[in-house]
Amino acid sequence: MPALPLDEAGKYVAGAYVVFLVLILVYVAIMASKLQRIERELRELAGFAEQRRRGEGEGAPRPRGAAGRDAETEERVDRVAEEMRAR
Amino acid sequence: MYGKGLKTLSIATVATLAAAACLVFFYAPSDADQGFVQKIFYLHVPLAIVALAGFVVAAVHAIRHLRTGDRRHDARSYVAIHLSIIFGTAVLVTGAIWAKASWGKWWVWDEPTLVSFLIVFLLYATYYPFRYAIEDSERQARYASVFAITAGAFVPLNFIAVRLAESLVHPRVFATAEGGMPGKMWLTFAVSIAGMALLWTTLVKFELTAKNASGQLKRLRRALDAPDAGTQSRIAPELS
Repeated sequence: MPALPLDEAGKYVAGAYVVFLVLILVYVAIMASKLQRIERELRELAGFAEQRRRGEGEGAPRPRGAAGRDAETEERVDRVAEEMRAR
Repeated sequence: MYGKGLKTLSIATVATLAAAACLVFFYAPSDADQGFVQKIFYLHVPLAIVALAGFVVAAVHAIRHLRTGDRRHDARSYVAIHLSIIFGTAVLVTGAIWAKASWGKWWVWDEPTLVSFLIVFLLYATYYPFRYAIEDSERQARYASVFAITAGAFVPLNFIAVRLAESLVHPRVFATAEGGMPGKMWLTFAVSIAGMALLWTTLVKFELTAKNASGQLKRLRRALDAPDAGTQSRIAPELS
């Protein structure tokens, strides 16, 4: 087939590059929504930890967790935090 | 730390892709035979090469996972396949557009290059349902690694088959009897493929960072005895 004239070929070239760009943008948008979810969960978790810390200060019962588990839980939290810092 | 160096990598990716775009449209000469349509080559071929190389990388991580039992390699293999499938989709769509412009048809079934790539793509497309079908996460990771290795073996076969096949319409530009591409085209192609490889690496790193953050969050939730948000994926491996 003979080469297409520039005005017609341009549409195909633009189409190919736009498709690629759209695919990448869709992927980035999906990843951004996942990161938003992580951020929201992190905020919830921070609120949960704060609520528990306040409950401890006032001598009130903890929001979750059985009696006798507190020291163990704290130890686990410290361990995870330490591991995260190390990474 | 998956996020380490992500900013530098992202800047390098954007700079290389911008340089590639400038070279494609302002430096590389138009093809004598195909004219301006040949500009799709600098997008389509690097995408195909990087997608296929990504499948090989996934197979290498899968081997490392089976050898060491380290779930991080399974996650890397999973993400590499994920990104390569996205790149593969772009290859098929840009290839179809190029085919329509050059040959007047969106798809040619008797062309080995197209069909063999489609077979490899469809093979990898079954990775997700295959993985999803297995409940136990240990078995899921192990079987997915076996799949990634087996499917990865098809990639070099695809390359060889394409080179051996008597092509009817698909152009050959590397090491042809006519001497292949001129220097300006080679340089543009080299920058394009470097940009595409950087993009693939950046996106893999980006996804692994997000996965790592998600995994750490889950661990923290467990450590705090917090109620589960119930939003964790069943198929995606976690980096926890």
